[in-house]
Amino acid sequence: MNKKNLLLYAFVLAFVLNGQASAQKVNDFPAKTDPLHKRVALFDKLMFGNHWNEGTLLQRVIFPPAGFKEPVIAWYSDCFDVTVEMLAAYCFKYAITENRDDLHIANQLFEGLLKLEKVTGVPGLMARGFYKTDKPLWHEQVLWYPMEWHWSTSMPGYRWLGDLSADKFTSLFYGIGIYWELCADEENKQRAADLLDRFMSRCIYHNFKLVDLDGKMTLWGNFCPDLQHQELNSLEMLMGLKVTHRITGKERFHAAYNMLIDRYHYDDRQLKSKVMWPPEWRNPYDDDHAAKSLYMLMRYEKDRSLLIKYRMNLNIHWHDWQNHDFSFPGDPWLIMLYQVLTGENVLTEQKIDGIKNMWGFDRETREFKIPTENGHKVVKSVVEGHASTMIRNYWFGRYYGFIDPSW
Amino acid sequence: MMRLFTVVTLQLPKQIQVQEKKETTMNVIIFFLSVCTSLLFLNQAAEKNPNPPEGMVYVPAGSFIMGSKYGDPDERPQHIATTNEFFIDKLEVCNADYAEFDANYTFPPGKEHFSVVVTWEQANAYAQWAGKRLPTEKEWEKAARGTDGRIFPWGNTYDNKFVVWNRNYPRGSAIAKPESPYGCLDMAGSVWEWTADWYKPYPGNDVPMEQYGEKYKVMRGGSNFNNHSFIRTTHRYYVPPNTTANYPVGFRCVKDVK
Repeated sequence: MNKKNLLLYAFVLAFVLNGQASAQKVNDFPAKTDPLHKRVALFDKLMFGNHWNEGTLLQRVIFPPAGFKEPVIAWYSDCFDVTVEMLAAYCFKYAITENRDDLHIANQLFEGLLKLEKVTGVPGLMARGFYKTDKPLWHEQVLWYPMEWHWSTSMPGYRWLGDLSADKFTSLFYGIGIYWELCADEENKQRAADLLDRFMSRCIYHNFKLVDLDGKMTLWGNFCPDLQHQELNSLEMLMGLKVTHRITGKERFHAAYNMLIDRYHYDDRQLKSKVMWPPEWRNPYDDDHAAKSLYMLMRYEKDRSLLIKYRMNLNIHWHDWQNHDFSFPGDPWLIMLYQVLTGENVLTEQKIDGIKNMWGFDRETREFKIPTENGHKVVKSVVEGHASTMIRNYWFGRYYGFIDPSW
Repeated sequence: MMRLFTVVTLQLPKQIQVQEKKETTMNVIIFFLSVCTSLLFLNQAAEKNPNPPEGMVYVPAGSFIMGSKYGDPDERPQHIATTNEFFIDKLEVCNADYAEFDANYTFPPGKEHFSVVVTWEQANAYAQWAGKRLPTEKEWEKAARGTDGRIFPWGNTYDNKFVVWNRNYPRGSAIAKPESPYGCLDMAGSVWEWTADWYKPYPGNDVPMEQYGEKYKVMRGGSNFNNHSFIRTTHRYYVPPNTTANYPVGFRCVKDVK
């Protein structure tokens, strides 16, 4: 390569790199060979640098040219879960470090959850996600059900995504429950209790359903004793009521919990939470919701007969979880969680290796069909996944002493 | 003991219990009348012995129980509705069927017998081309649940084996294959199905919804990607006719009995 070509090559390379750097705020990516603690720290920076949205975190972010710097273009449908995972992570982290900066982040994430309610303008109704804009952006038409986006009446200039589902329901009680246990001061404990009170009271008022802005049950919001629903939802509702009773101290939530057990046998129904057959129907996302529910229920419940039933449910899940190959980001957590809840030592060398090798996400380039006035245009962009699950796994493992800080 | 006590405190007020009893009695009467009228029509139908076109099943004229007491507000009131006799497709229209109508329609190889996903306008155009039409809500619900007010096409209890689990499976591929009372498959789960009707309240329903009117078409039958309640025979959902709004929504057709 002669000098002239070398200069041209250097110029092009600098231009490309500069273009990439301006496309996303944080680009310092970990290497697979980095130690676990370094990988977690770098993914943490990527998450807060590229996924942050006014107290919430976005699951998969689309960078320019298909996306924008502000507002962030992303899949908003699971923003709730990603935010809650990070809240849990920072609660466990703060419990270890007692660092005020960690507490500050946990508090900001809690404020984000409060904003998910405020933006709907309806007490007890929470959004899947929101963004500030002067006009609806293209992702609403492409990435989820476009009819579920609404203008906020309580926060002018904001769009919010409705159709909350059972997994967000579960995340809420799990995340707020952990925040209440490990992080919240007295004032925020009361705000957390008030949020759960409003949310669960609205759900009970609608006969144990999540009801959307249009007055209809959301697509996955069915916990109703008079309507057939997935057995997993029975487990989730019992968990929600248990946590709400614990945090608010209000007897009516305990009464509702007992009513669903005594009159509608939710304690027996929950035993079938895990779809085992046929094997291709086993759902790792459902495992995550079941695990969150059992983690809260089995630590809060004192009734031995109910505890036995929840343990039976956990055993059925474990029958499957013990063979997971760590291909799903939540797998390390399921293993550690089982050990926390049962006291059995299940962390074999192989499983420890799986934990040590946890990874957040890889970037990928995708094509998007962006609607235009005359049809659509195809635009390629880099998409960044999320690492909240990995970061949660890590601090959960550190909190319970499964993960060595030197790893 | 504590649990028993709290259950007692949650007993319904007497007035509501009386109301429930009245409703139950009314339901028994409605059901009895419905069965009688249906038997009458069934008898007449048997005499006619209509021969369904290929791939269709026969639904006799008569009354049936429409709507639900426990579902969304738009499913109420539960009432008696009546249809004429008609034929309805046993299965949802599939990709291969639709491609015969629209030469520009493409689908991945091997997905010939997967249910097609199209807008209402496309579905309606196909139905006209095929010499058929989209079912009214009444026709769809009757074909799905028969006359006895059942919750699902096969009865009142949900079972994973009775539904096409998700869009990785072709139409009619439920592990067990329970038919609706008139012989239709996949009226619960698989893809949602368009009906001919605009989204409007049932007679006697006074719960306001801004979506009512001639903006949205009704889709029925749910997709098993959603919860079990959405595949109840009475569940209604609304989408504009010129889009699927990213919902997996297909259709089946009906044909009048001459």
